[in-house]
Amino acid sequence: MSQVLSVTPSSQAESLISIRALSYRYYASSRYVLNNVNLEIQKGEVVVIAGKSGSGKSTLLRAINGLIPHQHSGDYSGKVIVDGLEVLSAKMSELATKVGYIFQNPENQIFMFSVERDIAFGLENLSFKTPDIREKVDWALNTLGIRDLALRAPHELSDGQKQRVAIAGSIIMGQKILIFDEPTSLLDPYTASNVIRIIKNLHDDLGITILIVEHRLDLVSQIANRIIVLDEGKIVFDGEPRQVMYSSNLSVHGVTEPTIIRTTKLLDPGATGPGKSYPLTTHELAHELRKQVPRIGVFQKGSHEFGTNR
Amino acid sequence: MLASAIFVVSLVSHIEVLIVLITFTIALTFAAKIVKRFGKSMTFFAPLALIAFLLNYYVFPVGLLTATNLALRLFAVIASSSLFFLTTTPDELEQVMRWFHLPPDLVMIFVIAVRFVPVLFLDALQIMDAQKSRGLEFEKGNLMKRLRNTIPLLVPLIAVAVNRSLELAEAMDSRAYGATKRPTSLYVLKYNFSDYFTTIAGIVMSSFGIYFALFGRLW
Ligand SMILES: Nc1ncnc2c1ncn2[C@@H]1O[C@H](COP(=O)(O)OP(=O)(O)O)[C@@H](O)[C@H]1O
Ligand SMILES: [Mg+2]
Repeated sequence: MSQVLSVTPSSQAESLISIRALSYRYYASSRYVLNNVNLEIQKGEVVVIAGKSGSGKSTLLRAINGLIPHQHSGDYSGKVIVDGLEVLSAKMSELATKVGYIFQNPENQIFMFSVERDIAFGLENLSFKTPDIREKVDWALNTLGIRDLALRAPHELSDGQKQRVAIAGSIIMGQKILIFDEPTSLLDPYTASNVIRIIKNLHDDLGITILIVEHRLDLVSQIANRIIVLDEGKIVFDGEPRQVMYSSNLSVHGVTEPTIIRTTKLLDPGATGPGKSYPLTTHELAHELRKQVPRIGVFQKGSHEFGTNR
Repeated sequence: MLASAIFVVSLVSHIEVLIVLITFTIALTFAAKIVKRFGKSMTFFAPLALIAFLLNYYVFPVGLLTATNLALRLFAVIASSSLFFLTTTPDELEQVMRWFHLPPDLVMIFVIAVRFVPVLFLDALQIMDAQKSRGLEFEKGNLMKRLRNTIPLLVPLIAVAVNRSLELAEAMDSRAYGATKRPTSLYVLKYNFSDYFTTIAGIVMSSFGIYFALFGRLW
């Protein structure tokens, strides 16, 4: 994957997102937030970016959609290429048609007075004709199942609904890449898992490449095919979820491991280490346990004794 | 569209014209089926006109006619602006602004200002609760003390608002804001019968207003 020496121009063009030796420091800030980041993301991937707060996750996302360097000034070195466009020289509005950005707080992402007007925002800015906007807005409303919210005002929406509106407004320009900055951190667990399901559908049905910043891996590890852990602006882990999560103790880097992973590590302290392949889902864990404890029915029989009633 | 009435009022001082104007405004509220809310709004604001009348008549040395006149003028302005704001949603107002080819940035400033009034209001309530729970008392003390007490509210509120505006700017840029000089719209503004009617009525009244202002009498 990282043959630095043998990158020919044709293999360069294959990555949907290509980040080479990116370092960035915010204006008037004393330290570099991103330190020599190298990253290639292929079309169709679902990548989770984890790491403690302040590790540079949002900064990395901004560098991909062009807010860095176009809106934030600072020291920028390295090269970021997104779908064939070099971020540094491309126009911000051109990048917006390639990458949809869903922010942590959807409240600040909905500006117009009605849902459908807000979803239309991007196309209006690009001067699309009214009938074309209408058609695409209807498509986005249906895709996210929010047809009946079309004429609502933003303040009439629940948090989960706001998040859907924000997503609809971010796929309207036909973006091939969607980036989510902690999309579930302001939501209750039920709404959060709904949003994660929507994200999975966008990937499966529309073939959109997804990047999600999350430090709670419970929800996202099952839809991800890759996990990247950032610490102090450097990539410390990058690989398949199973591989990354069993390769070491991620809590050191401020990442909350899924309960399944922690349970497995407790049951089998040897589970940490390179090259191991351990369960990732409840089903897989149950399967493993049944293999090792044939008569697991004992839990069912006496379960009331373990219950909460003293 | 009815805002042209305000224009008439500022020019004309003849009681006859004002009465026609007020009658017309009230007739329009019936047509727009907003009599109830119009009434509410008027009972809230109309006493202003009464106060103006009393003030003018008793405090300042003006005649009964002039005082009535001024009060009616004020009443007409209040009535027509109530009508305007009760019939026009912010969304329509935004479309009208675009229709007049105002600069897109200016339109967006208006949209965001109106859109975020309730949001900032909730922010303010939240900050007040937070400060109260730390023992700050907003309702106590004399005027000076109360004024000083708003500082712990205003400072965080400004911080919150600035933060929001930075996030807004990022979100707008991420959705191709400013890509073209002339953004289009999901809706096209269509003139229907009632719009033509009120526009023509507005123009007729404004012309009469100008005529009266210039010549004082109709004939
Ligand atoms: N607009 C900004 N100006 C200056 N410094 C910033 C700005 N945004 C973030 N930072 C700093 O950059 C570092 C990384 O921030 P960020 O990328 O937001 O981290 P994360 O998303 O992982 O929590 C933090 O130390 C933060 O204080
Ligand atoms: Mg962040």
